[in-house]
Amino acid sequence: MKKQVVELGYSNLEMMAVAASRILENDDTVLVGTGLPLVSAILAKKTHAKEMTILMEAVAFDCDPDALPFCVADPRAVYKTVWRPTAMEVMGQFLQRGKVDVGFLGGAQVDRYGNLNSTCIGDYNRPKRRMEGSGGANDIASLAGKTVITIAHERKRFVEEVDYITSPGWRCRTPDGTGLVHRRELGLNGGPYAVVSTMGVLKFDRTSGEMYLHSYYEDLGITREQVCEATGFALDTSKASPVGPPFKEELEALRTVVDPEGIFMKY
Amino acid sequence: MVKKNKVIALKDIPGFVREGDRLWTGGWTVVRKPMAMVWELIRSGKKKLHLVANPGGPEFDLMAGCDCISKTETNYIGHEVFGHPYNWRRKLDEPDGEEFYHDDWTVKTGALRIVAGSMGIPFIPSKSLLGSDIINPEYDGFKELRGKDKKVPRRKVKLMDDPFWDGDTVVLLPALNPDVCLIHAQKVGEDGTVLITGGTFLDYYAALASEVTIVSAEKIVSREEIEKTAEMNKIPGMVVDAILEVPYGAHPTALHNYYDNDPWWFRDYLEASKDVQKMREWSKKWVHGPKDYREYLELLGKKRLKKLCADGQKGYNPEMKRRLDRLEEVPSE
Repeated sequence: MKKQVVELGYSNLEMMAVAASRILENDDTVLVGTGLPLVSAILAKKTHAKEMTILMEAVAFDCDPDALPFCVADPRAVYKTVWRPTAMEVMGQFLQRGKVDVGFLGGAQVDRYGNLNSTCIGDYNRPKRRMEGSGGANDIASLAGKTVITIAHERKRFVEEVDYITSPGWRCRTPDGTGLVHRRELGLNGGPYAVVSTMGVLKFDRTSGEMYLHSYYEDLGITREQVCEATGFALDTSKASPVGPPFKEELEALRTVVDPEGIFMKY
Repeated sequence: MVKKNKVIALKDIPGFVREGDRLWTGGWTVVRKPMAMVWELIRSGKKKLHLVANPGGPEFDLMAGCDCISKTETNYIGHEVFGHPYNWRRKLDEPDGEEFYHDDWTVKTGALRIVAGSMGIPFIPSKSLLGSDIINPEYDGFKELRGKDKKVPRRKVKLMDDPFWDGDTVVLLPALNPDVCLIHAQKVGEDGTVLITGGTFLDYYAALASEVTIVSAEKIVSREEIEKTAEMNKIPGMVVDAILEVPYGAHPTALHNYYDNDPWWFRDYLEASKDVQKMREWSKKWVHGPKDYREYLELLGKKRLKKLCADGQKGYNPEMKRRLDRLEEVPSE
């Protein structure tokens, strides 16, 4: 079937899900967290990456759900799987053994090095807003071949310094807790590969480990300047290129197959 | 030694749990949580429990909201996509003077800790946690308790250079051996053998690691019947001390092949849990009000429970609408 550029309206959230799904490839093994990452991974599986292997930390191994799981342990996640292991096998063995190509995460705050916070806003010892916590995010960001992060593009989320490093990026916490160090010096492989936001896709400079703007959703009226305004640290936009709208096939799959209720997409 | 008659009643549960005990609640966030047993513990007025399941769901938040706990030690506490754990969050965001401690972990390190506990070894190495604030000494949630509280490890972690190969630094994690483990399952044999479908999560390890393990199930079946499902049985009766039959014992969490999440419960609970006073009213009605669990189920109503019924093929209810802001009316008689 020939892909066709959609002429209908669509939201930034939908574009974000589509852009994130496009990063995944057919021969990837991807370990996915709940929420938008799950939406994007299932979208990839239903469109361009039909043979991709989706793992979820609780139980689902190589799954192809009919309905969107509410969490990684949802009976919807284990329907159509080939094996139903535990977090010991998925995380303690497959992930730690280096069998996961892509880790797919969300979070509340991200900094220029791709450090991700899903633990608390404010001082950890006296939080302004406590959040649910790492789940498997820390493990995935530490041990997957590469990490893709999805997060809404707002100044309060793209911050100079995250309030708490739940999941390590390129320059992350020293063991004594006082400074930052390159993840390779700690023996960590992998690392953040892309941040997919509601305004565009950001990637990381190989040498400095700093985030730069890779592409932006021009069709939705997003400009380089707007991205900078919504980012709490200096951002290099010189390499950025505009990205076109979703294909009709992608949007249809998202709306009718992946999330027809609008649980995440909030239609 | 294996006790022969293991069958107990729901009202016996509080007798197995003491103040300060580390309690493992099986399942995973909003799936297969031992809600009926937790419900009975709350009703008995238990205090100062120390929750250690990885991860925690509505049972953690409910026990926080009913002031049964003073410590949590896990990787995640929440209701997944349904909403936030307001009662538990309030303990940390708005301390009320009562002592409350929380220690953060991750899915993998939580899993490795309970596996180490099940193996009878004191600690186990991990390749994650480096580079994060989870091992930042400044942010050790249990630092005031270390060296004082016997149920808390003397230190959170220890970094160690690989002593055998040219490997990198590893993080040593303390084993986790809960005092009491509560699990809800689809079926349990009269000998204690547990049948679980749709994911065992970490319950096999937890049953083995814990001092006392109690399993409630939708149905207690004979030894002959449980033998027929040997390939699906996940926990041997040897590590199960007591069993009980509690239909809908995981409500409002989902039980694979039996019932789905109850979205009306989550909607109403989430609304109540945002406010201390509303939460009191909610628990008065739903936890303390009914005479027993049967009466709790009657309060929910047959029609509502029927709506949750899972499709035998798929394991969930494919007709279920789950978007909380667009739920239909609560099904009533």
